[in-house]
Amino acid sequence: MSYAYLFKYIIIGDTGVGKSCLLLQFTDKRFQPVHDLTIGVEFGARMITIDGKQIKLQIWDTAGQEAFRSITRSYYRGAAGALLVYDITRRDTFNHLTTWLEDARQHSNSNMVIMLIGNKSDLESRREVKKEEGEAFAREHGLIFMETSAKTAANVEEAFINTAKEIYEKIQEGVFDINNEANGIKIGPQHSPTNTSLPLSGSGSSQGGGCC
Amino acid sequence: MSANNDGFSRSSSCSRTRPSTPTSSTSSVDSSSTRPEVNGAVYSELHKQCDRYGFFVEDNESKTKKDPRDAQLSVDVILNREKKWLHMCNNWDKFMTKKWRKIRDRCRKGIPNSVRGRAWFYLCAGFKQKARHPDLYQLLDSQIGDEKINDEIRKDLNRQFPSHEMFAENNGFGQQDLFHILKAFSIIKPEIGYCQGQAPLASVLLMHMPAEDAFWCLVQICDHYIPGYFSPGLEAIQIHGAMLNGFLKRFHPPIYRLLKKQNIDPVLYMTEWFMCLFSRTLLWPSVLRVWDMFFCEGISVIFKVAIILIGSVLGDSEERKKCSTMYETLHLLRNIPVKYMSEEYLIDKVVTFELSNRELQKEHNLQVMKRKKEKEKRQKEEQKRATKN
Repeated sequence: MSYAYLFKYIIIGDTGVGKSCLLLQFTDKRFQPVHDLTIGVEFGARMITIDGKQIKLQIWDTAGQEAFRSITRSYYRGAAGALLVYDITRRDTFNHLTTWLEDARQHSNSNMVIMLIGNKSDLESRREVKKEEGEAFAREHGLIFMETSAKTAANVEEAFINTAKEIYEKIQEGVFDINNEANGIKIGPQHSPTNTSLPLSGSGSSQGGGCC
Repeated sequence: MSANNDGFSRSSSCSRTRPSTPTSSTSSVDSSSTRPEVNGAVYSELHKQCDRYGFFVEDNESKTKKDPRDAQLSVDVILNREKKWLHMCNNWDKFMTKKWRKIRDRCRKGIPNSVRGRAWFYLCAGFKQKARHPDLYQLLDSQIGDEKINDEIRKDLNRQFPSHEMFAENNGFGQQDLFHILKAFSIIKPEIGYCQGQAPLASVLLMHMPAEDAFWCLVQICDHYIPGYFSPGLEAIQIHGAMLNGFLKRFHPPIYRLLKKQNIDPVLYMTEWFMCLFSRTLLWPSVLRVWDMFFCEGISVIFKVAIILIGSVLGDSEERKKCSTMYETLHLLRNIPVKYMSEEYLIDKVVTFELSNRELQKEHNLQVMKRKKEKEKRQKEEQKRATKN
């Protein structure tokens, strides 16, 4: 299936915060209460539409345990977006955000869009981290923020899609060099071969996905 | 369009526990479509039927599907093999010192299910450790351990083979035993603590033997078969990844070139294979046969399986052409077609594949040297940059 752009995402955060469940909910629209834990990395992909354009999201889901960091760092390379996930029912997963953020910023390109996600919003009675705290952290570090529930699917679509919107806007503004794949963005085959080098700040490029 | 036929669906190594529901893989930002239906149904695991290995039948039909070879083994053959294994176990030291090849050949033929646990326990010399330290496990078990590590272990208990009857029940016997041996391990090996890769290994062991024996097997595996796999930094896994790459260069040059061109770091596809000794990848009868050989011959078996699988999925130039980007290639490597993972296809190939320990050692030394040089180079560059600034 052809697409206008391909964005590479990574999902990071402590073990057990629901990274794999978020991915499964987004790609397969289901919630799996019991599943094998992630060892190393897993992948998922899905098409979305933004501004009339087909965009393929290629998502890398990583193991959360500290021991795996030396390996997961190599996945950061060339990601356009990152979902940084914590569990609203476990304070420690929120406390570790700074370390994750430093890690992500150090090993990825500086323009990477980071979405902070407080997952398990369905477990309101066990909440340990207030929504305001997540918002404040996001404000302070220049992230987008959302609370989600991989179980009920609340905000899951939005989390992935809003991140893509932000990346898309950055492309429109010319912030991303889309000809450099190290930025986690690839121009799809949907663009005709005669027009592979798109203008970086193409204000008129928002019309029609088939060809420009 | 089906969500599953072109790499747009989630590709998961554990898809066997996730029956896929094809759904539309396109959504629109502006669409006001209703929320996807949520499948939050809780399994009624305990009422499900199990196959001969203890996996729930519905979830695992493709995984443990009766292998044609199973049918070939008559009861007489099985009984005969059991007798031979019992005889070996009763005369273990003699066989180990004088007839090791006999043991190896019998492991290659497959250990009968009834004696498998005992055979593994003997092969890795877990039984000797247990005899040397008869009270140690009980002692470790009675200790509280590090609560932080215990919490980490607890979080993973219901994420190990959830489709196996032993581990399906929350806080059931299987999960309790799993907790006990992982906790005991973290106490005896504080430099490792608990690494998530250990839990699947411990689970497979528990399917075949009591907790104390499983504990000693786990210790032996971590100390002697895959040392360094669970140490901070996971250096050993990365070295084995580089070694695997080296073997691909030798055995499958076109595949090596493809992976190199697409800049695919081996850890992206081999971490789970090696760390879990293929227990989460292959069909179950193959897992057991691979483990039978692994306990006798060591890590070379895992390398062989990996090289054969990679050669099977990417050996054909047409298949390689389909892998136009890193993603398609990784997708294929992480979702190996079932036909390549069956006992019938795989095991004979592993047995006849030549890869000696000397070759392994040579490749190991080569890769360690390479990494050392790269590290030195990086350090020099960093120093240069630091002095410039």
